[in-house]
Amino acid sequence: MLFLSGPTRPLWRASFHPLRYLVLVLSCSIVGLSGALAQELCTYALSGRVIDAHDPEALAFAEIYLPELQRGAVADTAGRYRIADLCAGTYRVRVMHLGCEPVERSVTLKGDLELDFRLEHHAHELREAEIIRDRPDEHVGQAHAEVDKDAMERSSGRTLGEMIAVIPGVTTLNSGPTISKPMVHGLTGNRVLVLNQGIRQEDQQWGSEHAPNLDPFSSDRITVVKGAASVQYGSDAIGGVVITEPVELPREGPVSGEVRGVGMLNGQAIGGNGLLQGGVKGVRGLGWRVQGSGRSMGDSRAADYNLSNTGMHETGASTSIGFRDHRWNASVYGSWYARELGILRAAHIGNLTDLQNAITSGTPWYVGAATRAIDAPRQTVEHLLAKAEAGYAVNERGKLVLTYGFQQDDRQEYDIRRGGRSGRPALDLDLSTHTGDAVYKHWIGKQVHGKVGFSGIYQENVNIPGTGVRPLLPNYRRQSGGLYLIEHLTVNEGLELEAGARIERTHLLVAKYTVNDVLIVPEHDFLNHALSLGANWSVADSARIRINLSSAFRPPHVSELYSEGLHHGTAAIEIGDALLPSERAFKGVIDLETALFQGRAHALLTAHASRINDFIYLRPDGYQLTIRGAFPVFRYVATDALISGLDASFDLRIAGPFTWRLRASTVHGRDLEQDEWLFQMPSDRVENTIAFAPRRAGRWKELEVAATSSFVLEQRRIPVGLDFTPPPLTYHLLGLSASAARPLGKNELRVGLRGSNLLNIAYRDYLDRFRYYADARGIDIALWITYRFGGKDRTH
Amino acid sequence: MNKRMKQLAYALIATAMITACKKDDEDPVTPTTPPVNEEELITTLRLHFHSMGGSEHKMFVFTDLDGDGGNAPVITADTLSVDTMYHVEIEVLNESESPADTITTEIEEEGDVHQFFYQVSGANATVAYADTDANGLPIGLETMWTIGAASNGTVLVTLRHEPDKTAVGVSSGDISNAGGETDIAVSFPVVIE
Repeated sequence: MLFLSGPTRPLWRASFHPLRYLVLVLSCSIVGLSGALAQELCTYALSGRVIDAHDPEALAFAEIYLPELQRGAVADTAGRYRIADLCAGTYRVRVMHLGCEPVERSVTLKGDLELDFRLEHHAHELREAEIIRDRPDEHVGQAHAEVDKDAMERSSGRTLGEMIAVIPGVTTLNSGPTISKPMVHGLTGNRVLVLNQGIRQEDQQWGSEHAPNLDPFSSDRITVVKGAASVQYGSDAIGGVVITEPVELPREGPVSGEVRGVGMLNGQAIGGNGLLQGGVKGVRGLGWRVQGSGRSMGDSRAADYNLSNTGMHETGASTSIGFRDHRWNASVYGSWYARELGILRAAHIGNLTDLQNAITSGTPWYVGAATRAIDAPRQTVEHLLAKAEAGYAVNERGKLVLTYGFQQDDRQEYDIRRGGRSGRPALDLDLSTHTGDAVYKHWIGKQVHGKVGFSGIYQENVNIPGTGVRPLLPNYRRQSGGLYLIEHLTVNEGLELEAGARIERTHLLVAKYTVNDVLIVPEHDFLNHALSLGANWSVADSARIRINLSSAFRPPHVSELYSEGLHHGTAAIEIGDALLPSERAFKGVIDLETALFQGRAHALLTAHASRINDFIYLRPDGYQLTIRGAFPVFRYVATDALISGLDASFDLRIAGPFTWRLRASTVHGRDLEQDEWLFQMPSDRVENTIAFAPRRAGRWKELEVAATSSFVLEQRRIPVGLDFTPPPLTYHLLGLSASAARPLGKNELRVGLRGSNLLNIAYRDYLDRFRYYADARGIDIALWITYRFGGKDRTH
Repeated sequence: MNKRMKQLAYALIATAMITACKKDDEDPVTPTTPPVNEEELITTLRLHFHSMGGSEHKMFVFTDLDGDGGNAPVITADTLSVDTMYHVEIEVLNESESPADTITTEIEEEGDVHQFFYQVSGANATVAYADTDANGLPIGLETMWTIGAASNGTVLVTLRHEPDKTAVGVSSGDISNAGGETDIAVSFPVVIE
């Protein structure tokens, strides 16, 4: 979690407090190791100076980092550093400074140790440190959380949405057991931006039953920014941003990789993923990576019955090659992802009476024998991403980065049709998107750095003819260009400020036939801007506050402007409004992180409030009679909304290897014009985990066994008369997880077990669109095995 | 100076890449095919009532020519005669196409996965099935109506796709356990004089 940022506070430091009393107990049991023993052994300090190898010049703001403990310090202006409250042991220490070759050393601590580091400093050439990542953004003041490689491994077999839902404040909008859309602070779809390797993911994300089309394992880290972030990322980043981080390619060295297999009981799912990466002999700085994954799942099972036609098959592959040296870097990346999934048969209804029958019956009207076959109704999607990036360090203080991305997203939706047409898609969309970014990163003096950039999108959406159905979403072309500036100021050791602004123009050209078969070609132009102000402030030795005030924008989507007709998936007639304006959001977030009880506890509290003007949603507007009976009519309208809430995390080392973790969140969404609650907001939830992480058991390490109890409360904050049924009741789920790692020669074997809904509770979730038809998944047990091999060192 | 030129060149290339993608001569966004003909759209439902002996021909008609949305559908129903038996045949059409597509034949060909239900309330009329599918179970495209004394009421005509025809009561016209998806649900007034 290190990156190059110039003489300023790196992100890892912003996340964890560098000085004493703060020992973070994260879900990674490695950190649990350091605090697992009695505290008397953990009061040693590592201190010293970081100086230039050739003259006694101090290297101010050098970074000293212990990767195994995820702790470190930043040297002061005299090059002095100090890391306290360390336990006895042997650690790798990594020391970095802008303009120097980094130094890594193994240090054995048996008491207080004074250790100086000498770095090779090159005044005339800009050399980048051996950083792990080149993070483009520092999220100053923004509440954000990560799912790292190990957390992703523990979620093997889950979809992207489910993987990040462990973060408080992040939930999913589901359509049955196979479709999960990420939801941040109650917002989803076009209000949560997904970045795939740094490129905006464009995959028909407007659809409430469209999950993101990407393989989370093409990355090894997922960051969720819980805030309005249009300045950095452009339109749509109103609720938050889900970032699958680009992987830093190895620059040299032998081939390394991993192979993983996973099996899940519920649905008889079987899957795996593997990756290979390495450098190229003789060419230092050149690296490559090849990765692939696949999963096949049959019908899921609720507590009491089979969920017919909920199978899923998915495959993905990615490859990248890149070169980096002190002056410039270039990389090329390509990924392909394909998925076929079934829509719960019992969720396919003809009219409102069918829906009401489904609700009163309590059990799905269609329950067949469990099968792996997927029939109509079903979806097939294919997503191709190609990315090229080049960066050039113009001088010591400036760097230019150019990025180009191309995406092709093909989606077919098959419905149950008469006359042998079930084999022809009822929806066949082809979405191609070109994105281009040019950024100039600059450093001014020792305290200021920033970037100025331009980003552009060119997108075309085309309905492939031959469906025999009037298109749900018309053809359109979308072009947008944005200009932005972000400046970051390091005021002193404890305070960083950031400010930014963006201006963006979007042009839409739509082509569609009206009900009278007249071709119309309307055009739209939207001009938007965003501002942001953020601060990271270390208040005392053990507390840090992040404050962020940002605005964000979202031009209306073509579906909100031009929907016209019966939407089978929602049993409603939806009518768009071509006069809708852009949404404008103002979000304030305060994030407080502190250590308590001499470092035994760690608390993180995020309070957020967003005011969204011209918030677009569907409002009921009477009924209309059709051949299938009466359907409710919903119109896209704009209102003003206020969404506020609280996310809380609390970790406490109880005694020895036992840790208690608490995660809770609440969201209040209010329609200010109607003076009503907003529809489909997440309900309050609390999750308690007790983890047992002994240091070692024979050759096994990184052991952890954890039991989790989750309460999801009944959603009481609902708009009157907007739903077909009252929200489901409060439910409680019990989960269990266990994982361990074991070295095998120079390689490593990792295994894990994950059980969810162990009591096989029959329940329904308010954020599941299929809750009218069937229960959610029953008990599930997953087993995964990973083999990691090769490489220079074993990081864990 | 040279470096500056390089930087400028990079910026220009980036801009050029974006703008060059505008294809002014060819416009793939405009749908090249003529407007989609909704192939499965049902615009018209007609019930033809033929009295035994052939003297009477009455009709119940539902038309919604512009499909879902747009103009409201038009429902008309002739009055039925007291104490008469009618042989009723259903006609299902898609009149948004020309010539009109006869959906009745599609339903007939897929008879085993379709069934019509007739729920009469208020009026003195009973409905019995007069056709069968490949498995000997009723479809409901042909029915026999027995009309009684003068009365007023309604009949809800429902077409279910993929119902469970073997569930209790379904084959005698009870929709309660039928399941499946509703493709047609039209309520006609029944006036018996």
